[in-house]
Amino acid sequence: MIRGKIRGRWLAAAAALTSVTLLAAGCSGSGEGGEGGDNTSAPAAEGQATDRELVVWAGSQTPITPNFNPYNPAAVLHLANGGIYEPLFVYNKIADVPPTPMLGLEWEWNEEGTELTVKLREGVQWNDGEPFTAEDVVYSFTNETAKPPYLKDAVAKDDTTVVFSFDDPSFTNEFAMLGSTLIVPKHVFAEHEKDSGEDADGNALTGLVAWANAENPVGTGPYMVNTTSAAAYTAKANPNYWGGEPKVASLRYVGIDSNQSAEDLLTTGQIDWATMFVPDPDRITASGVYGYLNTPKDPTVLYTCANEDRGCEGEQTDVAVRQALNLAVDRGTINEKAFVGLAKTVSPTYALLGRDDKWIADGMPAEAPQAADPAAAAKVLEDAGYTKDADGFYGKDGKAVELTLASPDGWTDYNNAAKLIEEQAREAGLKVVATTISEAEYGDQRFSGKFELLVGGVVGTSIADPYQIYRDWFTGDFTQDVGTSLGSGEWNFSRYDNPEVNEAVKTASQTNDEAVKKEAYAVVQEHLVEDLPFIPLVVNATQTFYNQKDYTGWPTEEDPYAFPPAWENPSSGLVLGKIAGAGS
Amino acid sequence: MTFYLRRLAFYAITLWAAISLNFLIPRLLPGDPFTILLAKLQRSGGISPSVENSIRLLLGAVEDQTLWEQYVHYWGNLFRGDLGVSVTQFPTPVTELIAGALPWTIGLVGTATVISFVLGIGLGALAGWKRGTWVDSLIPSTTMMQSLPYFWVALLLIFLFSVTLGWFPIIGAYDVFKFDAPEWSWAFVGSVIYHAFLPALTIVISAVGGWLLGMRNMMVSTLSEDYITTAEAKGLRPRRIFMTYAVRNAAMPSLAGFGVSLGFVVAGSLVMEQVFTYPGVGKLMIQAVRNNDYALMQGVFLVITLAVLAALFIMDLIYGFIDPRTRSNNG
Repeated sequence: MIRGKIRGRWLAAAAALTSVTLLAAGCSGSGEGGEGGDNTSAPAAEGQATDRELVVWAGSQTPITPNFNPYNPAAVLHLANGGIYEPLFVYNKIADVPPTPMLGLEWEWNEEGTELTVKLREGVQWNDGEPFTAEDVVYSFTNETAKPPYLKDAVAKDDTTVVFSFDDPSFTNEFAMLGSTLIVPKHVFAEHEKDSGEDADGNALTGLVAWANAENPVGTGPYMVNTTSAAAYTAKANPNYWGGEPKVASLRYVGIDSNQSAEDLLTTGQIDWATMFVPDPDRITASGVYGYLNTPKDPTVLYTCANEDRGCEGEQTDVAVRQALNLAVDRGTINEKAFVGLAKTVSPTYALLGRDDKWIADGMPAEAPQAADPAAAAKVLEDAGYTKDADGFYGKDGKAVELTLASPDGWTDYNNAAKLIEEQAREAGLKVVATTISEAEYGDQRFSGKFELLVGGVVGTSIADPYQIYRDWFTGDFTQDVGTSLGSGEWNFSRYDNPEVNEAVKTASQTNDEAVKKEAYAVVQEHLVEDLPFIPLVVNATQTFYNQKDYTGWPTEEDPYAFPPAWENPSSGLVLGKIAGAGS
Repeated sequence: MTFYLRRLAFYAITLWAAISLNFLIPRLLPGDPFTILLAKLQRSGGISPSVENSIRLLLGAVEDQTLWEQYVHYWGNLFRGDLGVSVTQFPTPVTELIAGALPWTIGLVGTATVISFVLGIGLGALAGWKRGTWVDSLIPSTTMMQSLPYFWVALLLIFLFSVTLGWFPIIGAYDVFKFDAPEWSWAFVGSVIYHAFLPALTIVISAVGGWLLGMRNMMVSTLSEDYITTAEAKGLRPRRIFMTYAVRNAAMPSLAGFGVSLGFVVAGSLVMEQVFTYPGVGKLMIQAVRNNDYALMQGVFLVITLAVLAALFIMDLIYGFIDPRTRSNNG
């Protein structure tokens, strides 16, 4: 049964020219149908070649330090992630469609999910002329810096086949393996494994991270670094790119220190591709030069330190208080006033509406209520034994509930949302005090769990499946007691730890069977909706502006072939390989 | 001679205290670079385990050393001229970052400070000299300009001259869309001057009022001194009284302030650099503080401290030289 489905995937990946019903990425056999395009030369650009330099702002601030080492996330420049180094596949964050094959062509899981076989593209060259081989892929997954802990081994079966093996069923790591690991050239990187430098404390640092890879980085991607300076860096098309020589001859990535400057540069037509918050996008798109795509993906929520057993303190540890607050917030107003109407409706199940709809269990509310319901909030509190005091605030034992809601100073959308929630909670008889704290304190509070309420973000999943959110943000394995800082990959700030949720998430991790997963997700969703460790507010906007007068081939509303932000790793590389000059 | 020795000792102690504080204060900040970096990366998408792994390697094991060991280590490095490596701009040494930013800062902020001082003193002297005439009307308008939020003035200038009229560039210290890197050519120098105009203008607008007001008031009180009356009674030409008797004496206090503000030039101008994307020291400081980049923070603070102390020291020496009273107080 499972075997048959997996077989289907092989075929689908190979025969995508005919738009067969393709398989959902990262989950089991069935899924939305989609136009795959020519899979063997996926990012080929259609359109005119152009010498007009494409100016990109990917969020870099000045001074820019040349660093194209993908293993140094703190300093690596955006072009490296996708433009120079490519993954095996590029997953589409905004649509439930199969991933675009890059250096990989197709993949297959064994039945248990402990072995993953990947077929690689043939005839690809590194931009220094060396051939790309299966050994490079093995190296990219097994070098000391990059090797994921769950990977047991990687073996090159032949020149174009790599077999990965795992100790445990690893279906859920599919995206991390295929979609987020960049492939680097062994013949270059192996020479820098002993590089040394200094870490932040002045101690000796050795290994790949210590290498800046600043000069002529060797990758397979569509562009090659041309010049670098503290203010900008430029790249030129890779003539031997496997997808065909890119049509745009050169790129310029500039450093800009403030959003306002970037907006001004867009208004005056000086940059061609930028992703940033612009309160009034119509002002920029009015001239028709710029196309605009808003792709909300990451939920904004209220983190609550919810679990008394793990050391949380404050009245928000009572589920009734959280439920009342959830009913008291007016999401419509918050979106309108704090997020200037650009955010989208959030699902209390954390499925991304429109993309993950199939995962929302029957009987679960798909959308969080948009209007406040102070009466219902009051009822929840009264049923839980709270009484109203003379000032109109609910409390217990003569002590009114008082919660501190903090947000990082200067993150104005968060600050405004907090202020609005303070007012809205007062309507429902809950005392919430909105304050701002420094970014450093904010980081400290949420990692240590010493907070009552924080406005915060949840990282939306990169594939059409909310699994990653359920596991990383809501299970007991991904948290620590209050006072202990969360470790690597742990995002469960609320300290939520519910055995039934933990169990259900574990079940979901061990299968690729959609029905079993749905059943498990139903359990998770039921608890999340009821217990509200986070109180969902909105899904944050991601606004991308692109010059459609001089260039074609961008992801658009009609053809959202990739997540469009200029800073996105690695899909920006896919976009770079596809754009071309507009014919004229 | 003892005067100079005492001053020297005083500055040595101040320097030691400043450098020690400089070491300590960043370490008292809440949060650590690791969590801040994670949060920052998290805002722009998911983080794979290998990425986290490499961040850990990069940021080093913070717990390994006691504070005292770190302090000794820090002094050792200072004497070798090693300010460490920036985490946010890995792997650039802090000294290199500061060396890259200083020329721009000194060039622009220094020039603008000198211009606003000269302009303020000149106009202030004139306003004091001709008080009661139209020149006095300069005072409310410049004071108002000074009280406008600096940030807002800069944004307004950009909106007016760069976006609406398109006369001036919006970002950069030179045309970053045209030049791949700084170079020695007339076109480049022209571009630098062209790009410096608006940033310099905002600094002058916001600083000139203070100098002007101070100078005007000093001028007024100097003009009521007896020696001015004597000079007038002697029948000296008004021009001579103005320059040699009035301005020279009235400018003394402003000159002291000017020394200090020259020292602070090195700190750059946080807001201007941010608004105009101008490469400078102020921006390095903001970045360092935001990311708990200790090495960079310490490096920038060290340079500022040294510059301010040096400026104060020089002013001290000059004052001791031109005004013997400062040398002999309390014996």
